Formats: sequence, structure tokens, C-alpha cells
Amino acid sequence: MHTLRRGLLAGVFASLVLAMFDFVTDGAPGNGFPAVLRWFGISIANPTISRWVGLLLLLVLGGTFGLIFGTLQRGRPVATGRALLTGLALGVLWWLLLEVMQANLTNHAPSLFSLSFGQFLSTFPEASLFGVLLGAIFIQWQGHYASRQPS
Amino acid sequence: MSISSSAHKPKGAAATASQEGAVIAPITLSERSSTGLALLRILVGYLWFQQLFWKLPPTFAGLYPYVVCESQHAIIPGYGTLLQHTFLAGCSSLSSPAGCTAFVPLAACVLTAELLVSISLLFGLFTRFGALLATVLALQLYVGLAYTEWIWTYGMLVLLALVFVAVPAGRRLGVDLWLAPRLEAAGQRHRLARIASWFV
Repeated sequence: MHTLRRGLLAGVFASLVLAMFDFVTDGAPGNGFPAVLRWFGISIANPTISRWVGLLLLLVLGGTFGLIFGTLQRGRPVATGRALLTGLALGVLWWLLLEVMQANLTNHAPSLFSLSFGQFLSTFPEASLFGVLLGAIFIQWQGHYASRQPS
Repeated sequence: MSISSSAHKPKGAAATASQEGAVIAPITLSERSSTGLALLRILVGYLWFQQLFWKLPPTFAGLYPYVVCESQHAIIPGYGTLLQHTFLAGCSSLSSPAGCTAFVPLAACVLTAELLVSISLLFGLFTRFGALLATVLALQLYVGLAYTEWIWTYGMLVLLALVFVAVPAGRRLGVDLWLAPRLEAAGQRHRLARIASWFV
């Protein structure tokens, strides 16, 4: 149960870091959040509501991937290398499922895997970063809680 | 995480300093400070990452006006000439890289270096190496463009990069968290690992 909760929170925090990037983007802050809605074919006319719902969906997705991460650890302490690798794998899965397949599906792209170099460069590092952060936050909390346990 | 410089000194030296009454308390960063610095590192990495998109291949055309500007406003004598004989060799226009012989391969090197910086800082992977590279790139921008914008613009970029050369910010929320202890252990036996451990 602890690993699940830790995974959930790590996922939410990792997606919060991604959300933070949307406040240093060109144009208005939060401009990237409606893109999260578009992965699922959702569009909201009001731009303010669209941004907030996009942010919420990003956090929910982060939490979901965090829960998957926690489930994969099966309640056992995990080594740093394994946590980072599992996180990275989940980040790549995030990229493949959401940024490539889902986005192409809703945009009616000619192929499910069509991708330009610019699209790859703008999406892959961020998705991988989410994964590495998920693993790193999880492992830091594991160390933190382990040091607080009575011996 | 400790950034204490005295932590590596032999005990004898500390004792001597103590006897002389010149003890300087070691500085130890708390977990919160380290994580805060790691978040700053990620944001600085994102800063470099965002700047890749206006100079993308195959033409790298976004970079061209800045190189021309640097060749005209460099604060170090000879730097402008160096740019004219490398990046701008054979160029016939001030507005487009048409005719340039070496612009595309050199611009590709710039893009690769900036990509390395952003990957290094975003992922906390050999962070100090990435920060060192960022310092060189920012210094080059400072030399070429300092007087074309607010004088501190590129100066701050240099200082920001230097912060991450000084502080091992990749050891929290980054891959250096895993790399650092391994390289330090391997550094006892292998010279290459010892050198690599300077960069995490």
C-alpha cells in the first residue's frame, strides 16, 4: 500500500514538473495544457477552463502512471538503478501511447506512428524526463522513509 | 549531499586549523535545498531545450542572423574575423545562409552541443559536464552579443551555468543520483572513472 501511495504521489509530482514548463512557454502561461485534452479528442471552447482541465488531466495521467510504477515494485524496496530504468520505460510508454499513437489517432494522421523530427524532439525528451523524475522521486522518498523507520 | 570543501581535507589539517582558531563550519545542503536546486537545474535545462526549436535542421536558418550579429559586435578583437572565416565563409547574403560553405556543419555542432546541455541538465546526467559546456556556450554568446541586448542577459546565462558547475545538482531528481556513488567507488581503481566522477 505504501509503494502504491508513494508511486501515485511521485507520478503527480513528476507531472507537476512537466506542468511547470508550461509557465515558461511562449505566449500565455498554460498554453500547452489544451494539447493534453486533444490527446483524447476533447476540446473546450473556453480557453481558461480548457487550460485548467488540461492541467488536471495531466496530473491524473501522472498519478495513473505513478500507480503503475508503484504496482510494478510489488511492495518491496527497489534499487536506484531499477527505479530509474522502470521510470524511463514508463516515460517512453507515455510518449508512445499518448504523444504518438493517441495524438495521431485523434488528429486522423495517415499513420499511427507518423512523426517528424521536430515533433520527436519536442515530445520524447519531456516524456522521458517524466519517467526519470518518477523513478528519482520514488527512490528519494523511499530513502527518506527508510531513514525514519525505527531500527 | 554535502558541498563542504573541508570534508575532503585530512583530519590533521582540520586539527591544525582548529588549533589556530580558524575553523570554518562546513556547509551542508539539506535535502530540501538539494531538491530545490535540482528543480532549478531542470528549469535551466528546459531553457536550453526550448532554444533548440528555432534553429532546427536542415537549414539552421534561425541561427544565421545571430552569427552575423556576433561577427559584427564581438567584444573581443578578432572574434568577428574568426566567425567570418568559419561560420560565414563563402556567405553572400547577410539575411540567408545561401552560399555559405561551412555554416550547416558548424550550426549542426552548435545544435548538438545545446542538445547535450539540455539533456544533461534536464536529466541530471553528468550535470557538471553539461553545465561546463553551457558555460562555454553562454560565454561565446556573451562575447558576441553582450552589447546587442541588455548587457546582463548573457552574463546571467554564464553565471547560471557556473552555479551548476559548482553544485552537484544532478544528484537529486537526476541520473547522477545513481551514477555518482558508482563512479566514486570505481574511481578508487580506474583513472577514467575518477575523471568521469568530476562531472557528476
